[in-house]
Amino acid sequence: MSTVPAPPAERDARRSELRPTRAPLPPGLRNVLLALVLAAIAVAAGAVTLARGDLGVGPSDILKVLEGGGDRRAEIILTRMRGPRVLVGAGAGAALGLAGTLFQTVTRNPLGSPDVIGLGAGAGAGIALVSLVSDGPAPTWMGALAGSAIAIGLVHAATGRGFASPSRLIIAGIGVAAMALALTQYVVAVVLRDAGSQLAGQLVGSLNSRSMQHAAMIGIVLLVCAPLAGLLRHDLTVMDMGDEMADALGAGAVRTRTSAIILSVLLCAGAVAVAGPIAFVALAAPHISRSTLRLPGPHLLVSALVGAVILLVSDLAVQAVPLLDGLPVGVTTAGFGGVYLGILLIGTWRRNSA
Amino acid sequence: MSTGQESAPAPALSLEGVSVGYGEKTVLADLGLEVPAGRFTAVIGPNGCGKSTMLKAMARTLPVRSGRILLDGEPLEAQRSRAVARRLAMLPQEPVVPDGITVRGLVDRGRHPYRSALRRRLPGDGEAVDAAMAATGVAELADVQVTDLSGGQRQRVWIALVLAQQTAHVLLDEPTSFLDVAHQIEVLHLCQDMRASGRTVLAVLHDLNQAARYADELVVLHEGRLVVQGAPADVLDEQLLADVFDLDAQVAPDPQSGTPMVVPRLRQSAQAG
Repeated sequence: MSTVPAPPAERDARRSELRPTRAPLPPGLRNVLLALVLAAIAVAAGAVTLARGDLGVGPSDILKVLEGGGDRRAEIILTRMRGPRVLVGAGAGAALGLAGTLFQTVTRNPLGSPDVIGLGAGAGAGIALVSLVSDGPAPTWMGALAGSAIAIGLVHAATGRGFASPSRLIIAGIGVAAMALALTQYVVAVVLRDAGSQLAGQLVGSLNSRSMQHAAMIGIVLLVCAPLAGLLRHDLTVMDMGDEMADALGAGAVRTRTSAIILSVLLCAGAVAVAGPIAFVALAAPHISRSTLRLPGPHLLVSALVGAVILLVSDLAVQAVPLLDGLPVGVTTAGFGGVYLGILLIGTWRRNSA
Repeated sequence: MSTGQESAPAPALSLEGVSVGYGEKTVLADLGLEVPAGRFTAVIGPNGCGKSTMLKAMARTLPVRSGRILLDGEPLEAQRSRAVARRLAMLPQEPVVPDGITVRGLVDRGRHPYRSALRRRLPGDGEAVDAAMAATGVAELADVQVTDLSGGQRQRVWIALVLAQQTAHVLLDEPTSFLDVAHQIEVLHLCQDMRASGRTVLAVLHDLNQAARYADELVVLHEGRLVVQGAPADVLDEQLLADVFDLDAQVAPDPQSGTPMVVPRLRQSAQAG
């Protein structure tokens, strides 16, 4: 056996550039620390939203109201005005972040999110149609839910294999999204004309004039879906090695993918129902979690918190930053998330090409 | 485990009239064969003969259209996915390396079938992972990022994952493809080690000489059907090479091992002209 090459250890030594992982902290600790930092930012953004301006309610007032005391003014602001706004923002943001990370994990597509397969566009078309048929304060959330359900149903049927194949899912989704968008634009441009600008706000997602019912709705969606996502997490962890490896390890790739996409769609639909089709949070939150942690996923908790932070900070911006004043929050999420994601990606590319 | 050929232990895997296909196309048609337990069996055949499809069906990635597959005598579809994964491991042809994962992290994934959502860590996991890394010579790379490794090292890490799964039977889909020849031999030696430790090894191999040299038994597939199965010396001859591989070759004993070695003949046209 004189032709047998050098033993493995000797050949490995030639690859001297092998670097040990730069891991100043153990992975578990990194996760927990990042989660705490994000939670702190979310709480701070919520507190500032409540406290700023003439109608501001400070932390001491909040405590008083919670204890049953406090003045009438503070109570109204907390339960009818800014309180629901902050709760809906945090809940919808968390739902979108969680939805995005579930979706990207099982499709192994970094550009995947429930938006890409037409959920947001379907919701938009639903909102536009509802505003056509009903006068006054139309139940937009019903239009949003029905529209997203129809869109996802169409995608499920169009792939021919349900949610089993990631590539078919995304191609069918892009088609359905385009049709929904065309329908929406038709309604806005041709039918509504003058009322179009008011509808435009609802179509990009907004946290204006939310109620405690909205907060309860997204709260229930999270209470149901988050524990289920937690149970699914075990099998989700091996999806990143490909379907065959996941199957070999007993994780049933198709079953896991279908469950994750159903959960993702439910979470996203919940967020759409209470805040409208807010773009980019579901897409950006998983990326931001991954690039910040640099650990194998899925980062369910961290992505949910990133989503909440993006939405709360963006909403604060549309209330407090002069140029953005009064815009629907959906306009700024893309701005904030997009800029941060861009910085992260440029940093990653520089590192990799160095 | 193996007590010799004459006592004929129960087969590790049996295929009974198995048909598998993609869309309109049927790849395996009414395929029947038995994979002997505790031995190293190599699957050979020309491209498109259904080798990889057969492994994917055994590993439950592709659904069986008709017929059935038995694992240790029990139908696969009647068993829980996780329970099967504790007895049958599969290394796909091109598994994906997750971003940011270390060697130890990847090998640890082999423990997945023993864990659940509520039991994320079990006693014995650490020992199984350490033993698997030691057996494949990657222990000193434990904290290195898998994406930084060479192809040969990476393949040893994947095999370590399969070992950490601690199954009685192992399927390998073209484990030597994309490797240079030294690393191919290294992987084949690991296959022999797995067999020596009592595991059933079933590997799809491209190189006929390597298959004849390292495997106990060959399974020859052609157009989705079993042509012949048996010891390399009994199976590999000039007629088979002509019929199945459409290859004009001489079969001579391997100077190292004495197993059949395929030596393609030179073209005759130059002499004729």
